[in-house]
Amino acid sequence: MISRRYILRIGGGLLAGLARPRLSLAGEPVEIRMQGNTDSSHVWFDPIGLRVEPGQTIRWINLDPGNSHTATAYHPKNFERPQRIPEGAEPWDSDYLLPNESFSVTLTVEGVYDFYCVPHEHAGMVGRIIVGQPGRSPAASVSAQAAGGEPLPEIALQAFPSIDEIMRRGVVRRT
Amino acid sequence: MRIAFTTLALAAAFSLPALAADQVEKAPPTGAYKKVSELVKIPDFLPGLGQLYVDPKTLPAGPFLAYDRDGRLVSTVYMLPIEDLSNKDKRFDDLAAPGGKVDHVDVYFNAGHPGVEKPHAHVVLWHVPKADEQRVAAK
Repeated sequence: MISRRYILRIGGGLLAGLARPRLSLAGEPVEIRMQGNTDSSHVWFDPIGLRVEPGQTIRWINLDPGNSHTATAYHPKNFERPQRIPEGAEPWDSDYLLPNESFSVTLTVEGVYDFYCVPHEHAGMVGRIIVGQPGRSPAASVSAQAAGGEPLPEIALQAFPSIDEIMRRGVVRRT
Repeated sequence: MRIAFTTLALAAAFSLPALAADQVEKAPPTGAYKKVSELVKIPDFLPGLGQLYVDPKTLPAGPFLAYDRDGRLVSTVYMLPIEDLSNKDKRFDDLAAPGGKVDHVDVYFNAGHPGVEKPHAHVVLWHVPKADEQRVAAK
């Protein structure tokens, strides 16, 4: 299995060291699976919504044998897309992951992070991670278009789980 | 003079070598076809389709030529974006069909993949019987 580890240190390093991950044992990444059905008519992130503590490492892995996927943060640095991650947080883009390839980031800035799969955004393949408390984030409103850049397709906007649901359940799955 | 010119033209036409059609029965096909997995980052063998080749100039519609694990042609695939199919001003005319006899046809939705990033329809012209579709099934 090929693994690319891309650690983002976004300030708050001391805080990151003290934080306890909510959804995994300390030091273990939380996994988000990239999946699809047999004829690629349906593709998705599992889970689609996730709440973690600052300093948590997230690992995306492509478990879809018939397709390539990306995990790409909504940010002007990524294809001039609207910013839907917290101010001061570094955007990421996994590039295309073939089956069984993976990619990791460590998120330390609190807030809401929205991401998408480049070839499948128009099929609604998006996800949302809340680090710590959601605060006042560009993505704080589920259905709102963030300013700047190419707007999100409606199917993507509607696919994000609400912040309330993620805060309440911790993990949101829609498979 | 006119007769002489016509005779000369006919002689020239018959003396030219015939333009051979692309060989598509076995992978790799000849001509401008390229392996899709070498054009974009996508699995080399797609379960349900096989190994795909396409002339990049024909993207996104294709034809894509699909081969089994032994390099035998199993289908010709066209990929037609949904937004184009619902656009009354958009047409797909004269798509090449180099694969020969068609046994049956499947049409289904695809969410997208590198190379054709938007949701589209796969129109699959199978050149093999239904039972032989398993030649490109997932292992």
